[in-house]
Amino acid sequence: MKLGVLFSGGKDSYLALQYASEENEIICLLTLESKKEDSWMFHTPAIEWTKLQAEAMGLNHLTKETSGIKEEELDDLKIIIESAVSKYSIEGIVTGALASVYQSTRIQKICNELNLWCFNPLWQMPQSVLLQELISNNVDSIITGVAAEPFDDSWLGRSINSSSIVDLLALESSHRINPAGEGGEIESFVVNAPLFTKSISVVKSQKHYSNFSGRLEIQEAFLE
Amino acid sequence: MSILLVSTCENKLSEREFIDPISRIIEHNHKILHHTKCTSSSILDFDKIIICGTSLKDTSYIKHLDNFQKLLYDFEGPILGICSGMHIVCSIFGSKITENREIGMFEVEVLHQNSLCKKSFQAYNIHNYSVNNLENFTVLAKTNKTPQIVKHNNKNIFGISFHPEVRNENILSNFLLL
Repeated sequence: MKLGVLFSGGKDSYLALQYASEENEIICLLTLESKKEDSWMFHTPAIEWTKLQAEAMGLNHLTKETSGIKEEELDDLKIIIESAVSKYSIEGIVTGALASVYQSTRIQKICNELNLWCFNPLWQMPQSVLLQELISNNVDSIITGVAAEPFDDSWLGRSINSSSIVDLLALESSHRINPAGEGGEIESFVVNAPLFTKSISVVKSQKHYSNFSGRLEIQEAFLE
Repeated sequence: MSILLVSTCENKLSEREFIDPISRIIEHNHKILHHTKCTSSSILDFDKIIICGTSLKDTSYIKHLDNFQKLLYDFEGPILGICSGMHIVCSIFGSKITENREIGMFEVEVLHQNSLCKKSFQAYNIHNYSVNNLENFTVLAKTNKTPQIVKHNNKNIFGISFHPEVRNENILSNFLLL
C-alpha cells in the first residue's frame, strides 16, 4: 500500500515510518511547521531540519506552515494530506501517535473523511518499550527539547542511547516523567537510522534554556 | 489458561495498533493468529478467544462472515469480540451489521449488572459500523446511539463496540477471569 507519513523528525514518527516500511511503500513525508512552540498536535523543535531527513531517506517531502492555533492546525493537516493524495496518490497515512486520544481521534476523523487508511503502529506502546525499540531498531536520535523538572541543559543534544535511557528510566521513578517524553517532557530529532542512506551531522547548534525548559536550535547540519 | 487472539486486520501494519496492545495487557499464555489461518480444530487448543478490532477503513472481515460462523459457532469457551470482532460474533447469531459512526471518547452507560464492568465510564470508539437485530443478545451497556457491550443470552460470548485496550484494560482483565 502506498503510504504517507506524518513526520515531525522525532523518534516516534521515524519508528512508525520504519515499521510501516516493512510491508508497505512509503511515498512521502508530510510535515507541518507550527509557528507556535507548544502546538497541540505537532512536535516543534528542529522541524525545519526534516528536509535533511527526507533527503537522507530519498523520500518526497511536503511541508506546510500552520498557525499552531488548536483547531486551525487540523484544517492545515487536512490540506497537506489532501495535497499528498493528489500529488502522490497515497492510500493511507502513518502517524507516531502513541497514547493521545486527542491526537488519534482527530487524525482518524480526517483520514475517514478523506477515505484513507490510518495507521498508528506505536499506539499504546509503553514508554520503556518504545525506548528499547529505538535501540533494537538502531534509531539514533538526539534530544532537541526538554520541558520538565529536573532536566538541565546538559540534556539538550544528548543522544538517546542505552546510557541516557537508564537515566530517563531513573527519572521516571524519581520525578514521574514519561521516560520517552509522551507528556512533552523531551523532544527528539533522528540523525541516523536504517532507512537513512547518509547520516546527519550537526555541526553548529545553540542551547536555549531556562527553568527546566529548553530547546536545541540546530544552526548548521549536513549529510555525510 | 490459553488464549487465542484472532486478527481481523487486512494490512499487517494494523496489528501493531489493534493486536499488540491487547497482547501486552494479557499476561496469560496466548497466541496470535490471523482469522484466515484459524481452523475449527486448531481453535480447540484454546480456552478463550478474543477477536480483535481493525482499522476504521478495513471492512475485509465482512466478506468472511460465513467462515467465522463455521469456525466459531460450536466453540464452547468464552469469546470476546472487539469492534469488528463484535460485528462478527453478533453476525454469527443473526444480528445485522449497520452503518453507525463513532470516533473518539464517549460516555458508556451500564444498563445491567455484568461481569465485565460495573459503573458508567468513558470509552474509545473508532467505528463506522455497529450491529442491530440483537434478539439473541442482551445489551449490557450503551452510548446514546450504540450498543457498547452485548452478551449472548445463553453463551459466554461478548461483543464490545469500543476498544477496551485504550483506558479500559480492566474490562479485558475481567473477561480473562470468566
